[in-house]
Amino acid sequence: MKLDRESAGARWIVRPDGCDKVTGKLNFLTDLSFPGMVYGTILRSPYPHARIKAIRTDAAARLPGVVAVITHRDVPGVNRFGIMYPDQPVLCEDRVRFVGDAVAAVAAESEEAAGEALRLIEVEYEELPVIDSPEAALAPEAPRLHPGGNVLHRTHYERGNVEGAFRRCAVIVEETYETPRQMHAYMETEGGLFVPGPDGKLAVYAPTQHGYMDRMQLARILAMPETDIRVVSSPIGGSFGGKDELNIQPYGALLALCCGRPVKIHQSRWESVRAGLKRHPMKIAMKTGVDADGRLLAHRVRILADTGAYATLGAPVLQFATEHAVGPYRIPHVDVEGWAVYTNNGVSGEFRGFGGNQVVFALEGQMDRLAEALGMDAWEFRRINLRGMDDPGPLGQRVAPTDGARHVWETIRRSSLWERRSGRTTDRRAETRLHQRDVSSGSGHVDVRPDNGGSGPAAASFSSPWVRRGVGAAMVMHGCGLGFGIPDPAGGRIGLSAQGNIQVAFGHEEFGQGLLASLQLMIQDLFACDPGDIEIILGDTDRAPHSGSSTASRTTSMVWQALHRLQPHFSRAVCERASTMSGIPVSHLRLGPGGVWAGPERVVRYREIAEKGTEGLQFETQFHFPVTPDAIMGGHYLYTFAGVVTEVEVNLLTGQVTVLGVEHAVAAGPVVNPMGYLGQIEGGNGMALGFALMEDAVMDGSRYVTTNLDTYLIPTIRDVPERIEVYAIEDLPPNDNYGPRGVGEVGSVGLAPAIAAAVRQATGTWINRLPISREQLMRPISTFLHENAPMVSVPDVGKEEG
Amino acid sequence: MENDLLLCRRVNGRVASPMPSPFTLTFTVNGQTVSLEVDPTRRLLDILRKDLGLTGTKVSCEIGRCGACTVLLDGKPANACLIMAYQCAGKPVQTIEGVADEDLNAIQRAFLEEGAFQCGYCTPGMIMALEAVFRQKPKPTMEELKEGLTGNLCRCTGYSGIVRALDRLSRRRVESTRAIDRLGSFRRAWPDTQR
Repeated sequence: MKLDRESAGARWIVRPDGCDKVTGKLNFLTDLSFPGMVYGTILRSPYPHARIKAIRTDAAARLPGVVAVITHRDVPGVNRFGIMYPDQPVLCEDRVRFVGDAVAAVAAESEEAAGEALRLIEVEYEELPVIDSPEAALAPEAPRLHPGGNVLHRTHYERGNVEGAFRRCAVIVEETYETPRQMHAYMETEGGLFVPGPDGKLAVYAPTQHGYMDRMQLARILAMPETDIRVVSSPIGGSFGGKDELNIQPYGALLALCCGRPVKIHQSRWESVRAGLKRHPMKIAMKTGVDADGRLLAHRVRILADTGAYATLGAPVLQFATEHAVGPYRIPHVDVEGWAVYTNNGVSGEFRGFGGNQVVFALEGQMDRLAEALGMDAWEFRRINLRGMDDPGPLGQRVAPTDGARHVWETIRRSSLWERRSGRTTDRRAETRLHQRDVSSGSGHVDVRPDNGGSGPAAASFSSPWVRRGVGAAMVMHGCGLGFGIPDPAGGRIGLSAQGNIQVAFGHEEFGQGLLASLQLMIQDLFACDPGDIEIILGDTDRAPHSGSSTASRTTSMVWQALHRLQPHFSRAVCERASTMSGIPVSHLRLGPGGVWAGPERVVRYREIAEKGTEGLQFETQFHFPVTPDAIMGGHYLYTFAGVVTEVEVNLLTGQVTVLGVEHAVAAGPVVNPMGYLGQIEGGNGMALGFALMEDAVMDGSRYVTTNLDTYLIPTIRDVPERIEVYAIEDLPPNDNYGPRGVGEVGSVGLAPAIAAAVRQATGTWINRLPISREQLMRPISTFLHENAPMVSVPDVGKEEG
Repeated sequence: MENDLLLCRRVNGRVASPMPSPFTLTFTVNGQTVSLEVDPTRRLLDILRKDLGLTGTKVSCEIGRCGACTVLLDGKPANACLIMAYQCAGKPVQTIEGVADEDLNAIQRAFLEEGAFQCGYCTPGMIMALEAVFRQKPKPTMEELKEGLTGNLCRCTGYSGIVRALDRLSRRRVESTRAIDRLGSFRRAWPDTQR
């Protein structure tokens, strides 16, 4: 089904929070203010690695208007945070490990006073040698950044006998891929409001993707009972994983408790860049071999991830990358090893796609190289290696069977964009040269005629010889939930409120993805009620139960399952009340618009039921995300499948790559909220376009060179194609009871390798490093001087960089 | 809002301002005359958000790159983070709070109908930038509308929903629609934390 307004019909609804967003009435948490509020600000390290010899705060504390100055000495509980391993100092004691490390924080009557106070804090540093790359961190003589050494996490998965299988391969491709330090670049930077109560309690209004996790971490830092902390965490001005970990919350909370006044913090963009998480830069070496028929035999992967100064979720990200490096393919012999390594660079952590984006770029690059070496159609090559419905997962674990991989494969094969690839296959000479037993790294010094003398429908639409077009595609298999071995609780509550609303409460967040609209639609599906009957509570630990995190493409799935568990209990209880009140047997009653109905008549209003008391009408459920029965660390059980095809235009004089059109096929079960689903894939597409073509938070000697949105470029409206089509495949096996799979991440994964494949077809250059460098694609103008020549031979000047 | 109310507001002075320069800024905000005693270099962004409590104008990059703080100054689009108080003297400023009364305008309706936003943080700036285009030209083309948004960044939508909204606006199919009518009595999902 092509997903759009027309196909969605009545399910295409205006978001419940929409009106407030287009009128500016919606208060983000960073818009809040409070009487008597003071302003908090954080002093961060100027050095990527240094010893702290002294911190003197007297002068700052004496400045008029300053109400609190705190250092590590003022942290009552554990001076560390980190969802997985709490190894990041809230306020550094004796050492800083990156330029975002916090050393002190100030609260003052005005922002100006707070800023001036920061300048008055004297910190004596002694600079230490900087480890600015994972390779440097692994060197034997490298200083140890943490007591356990410089390796945060190591993964290893092996099946079969890879070395033996390589000896039987007809073609082997070996390549190393590199991916950038992508920044989330949410438009709302980190911030919030921290309000101490007269009863010693603390209210925290600050965005996060898991309010209860923040509450637990804050309780640990503040040495307070969790129940004394209220975390209100929605609405959020974008997160994409970046606000999953604590950011400014510890400082706001400590300052508020220290001075006994409400504290507001809102980071500048530069503070956000220097302190915030990024996507792990990875170097991924893959050696992949096939037999003479093109069947994958052996796949060896080595992943080196720059996890930066502290852990956060660096270990699970590497675990996810390890699993997804195998992809949706049948490969008998597999050997994957990964290292997440500490450096003095910015902290890498959770980011939409969670390690999948990097390894899928590499894996799909291998598939394209192998297909070309075999002289096969790239998509057909994937078909003969594609997993079947009942095949085990990438780590050999049992998974919920679906035929999503074949469905998306078929949809892309039939797409009009993919058809445009035919007739423009790479030159025979290239194939001949590549069709060798061992095709090693960058061996594509190949002369190509991408347009094959102008054949193909796209070729006719441009005439400049330096403008080339190509089409590429990629497959994605993306796990939902946190994976085996990680607690992944879910849950929610439903009840009739005192005002007579069907009230649902989830400890989930609305960061823009459209959870409110999804919930409204699901509740209307289940209870046939009006939107006006519904009240939704999200993102508030005092008002919503534990639901687990709003991450990992899990939220829609989990609220769907929770509501389906709760529905029979709630409906029966409400109908029983209505039966008592109306005298009509329960079996004749059902929930509907405004109240309980019998046949064509509404017999009791929800409000009338509520007036008689709502006790016994609240139901709560707690359960766990479905996991594989096989004890394989990190292995997932539910997956979303996706295919992406794109056409690009490359200007060989400027090196500019323009994405002309994209089609996504996504198999994620039933579409709950068409506008939200479409928006997730389109939004992921935009983020992937940036990842492929322009985004990189550049560091030099572990210091950021890119400091704001003038140097860190994200796509503008001019950079994205007008034509993006999304095909949603809803089919699930008849006995599948898991409902919708997540689509929050999968749209951000496949476009980069598809663009790389399209660029290969357009220019003859293999891309093994993102973002794609213009310099790698540029050709000297002399290349095009013989403009009447029937074909232009384009030397692959970029290969030296590989 | 009463003018008198706004007139009485005073702003926290700079702590270490090298040259205190009292300055009374008088200008109009969303049609109402406002007088404030401020530092002449105080940013319009801070005057709106902090002094006047108009938080619909968002703060994001603070270097004029992202467009989240776009307002109309003298009818033209401006990044409120780059405008200083003295530059506003005697001029009309319009913010997102002032673009529509009870009913939503065509731009806002198109954004709602086409899924042109997700988190919504960039949305007020986008709507103001488009408002500026429509003031220049009542029937802009798709190209002119896109050009009008080149200074506004969105990280959620990949611009696809925005392009749909622009397409609708360029064709001026502005009708009252089913979905809008269904907005009805939906309740706020978050506690009202602002007193």
